[in-house]
Amino acid sequence: VYVKPFRYERAASLAEAADALRGLEGAGRLIAGGQSLMPMMNLGLVDVDAVVDISRAEESRGVAEDDGYLRIGALTRHRELERDPLVAAHQPLLAAAARNVGSARVRNRGTLGGSLAHSDPAAELPLAMTTLGATYEVTNGRETRSVPVEEFHLTYFTTSLGSDDVLAGARVPKLGPGWGWGFVEVSRRPGDFAIVAAAALVRLAGAEIVESRLCLGGVSERPLRLGGVESSLTGARVVDVPERVPEIEGLEPMTDTSATGEHRKHLSRVLAIRALQDACARAEEAA
Amino acid sequence: VTSSTPFSVTLVVNGRSVTREAGGHLTLLRWLRENADALDPKYACGEGICGAVSSCVVLAAQVDGAEVTTAAGLTGPDGSLNDLQESFHRHHAAQCGFCTPGMLICAAAMLSEGAAGSREEIREGLHGNLCRCTGYQHIVDAIEECATTGTSATTR
Repeated sequence: VYVKPFRYERAASLAEAADALRGLEGAGRLIAGGQSLMPMMNLGLVDVDAVVDISRAEESRGVAEDDGYLRIGALTRHRELERDPLVAAHQPLLAAAARNVGSARVRNRGTLGGSLAHSDPAAELPLAMTTLGATYEVTNGRETRSVPVEEFHLTYFTTSLGSDDVLAGARVPKLGPGWGWGFVEVSRRPGDFAIVAAAALVRLAGAEIVESRLCLGGVSERPLRLGGVESSLTGARVVDVPERVPEIEGLEPMTDTSATGEHRKHLSRVLAIRALQDACARAEEAA
Repeated sequence: VTSSTPFSVTLVVNGRSVTREAGGHLTLLRWLRENADALDPKYACGEGICGAVSSCVVLAAQVDGAEVTTAAGLTGPDGSLNDLQESFHRHHAAQCGFCTPGMLICAAAMLSEGAAGSREEIREGLHGNLCRCTGYQHIVDAIEECATTGTSATTR
């Protein structure tokens, strides 16, 4: 299918992009790697009047250390997250999540900001960011503000970004000593969107869980943090993880061509346990 | 603000510099086919899933100034096949041919990055390139032979 003609504008910086969005009065969409927007346009799922290309705003690409945090530019490609030495050293869960996105072709062009702003509830990177408790940087060119991840991803394909807002990057706390991570998903084929994905962080003292974070993707309108399960894990022994993770209540995942809601519900518990066990194993290894 | 705006794009396509002012909404694929007579890349799924091309999910204007090599650009100036193409030919790695341009470009990238060290690594690298004829064994054979003999896959 040939896409409907639209206006193309190129922005050299994110501030310029915000100006362009204001000039287009709500009719403009940002494009970076294009790995979500272009397929949707090719399939006729979205009609776009104007596209503002931010792929050359190199200022916002790459990973940097900032005290106890990693600052990751929105234009950082999935492939770069996958291979970045700082990410590997300080927050390997993020590299694992990026590795699960699409094929190498998609990861070579797709960007962190694009995936987060697209906000697909089954996507790996919003799930990872929710698990890590990231803070996003959002700019309108005049001011930059911090938005906690849980105030950003609102519902299916919907974020709290305003019409002239540009996602500039994410601040992710480094993985502290004593912590381990886990990231597992089930998909039809490797590289497909997850049917269900689970991500976990665990801090151990000896064989006991002191602190944890646990989130699921693909089961609700946005990445779902399981605070109740996290609390019940505190003080648990590693071997007791399966019995401390109950059927997750209130979950009504959707049925689609990939899986039934019941199947997703089943996977939720299984994958939560596996992600936690992987996290425990890595925490033990590191100790 | 709705209509397309002409946008001047320069690309070096298989060694030949091409500058055209065309709609800024054109995908790289359409730009190559309509403006640079590069007809070997073909529209397939349009979703970035099949790997037959990846230029269907990139705007030409986004890669303005880039060098682009299509499968046809792997051949020598006299039209002779390069080692990788020869190997595909020898191993019957092309059946209906639809996936072949994407397979060749992907294989060339793998070989030049040294990412074709084993059959497993080759399979991993080809993930995202679908062959509807399911001719994967022959494709892996062809790439493996190039990797083990250390032939250069990207030069013309």
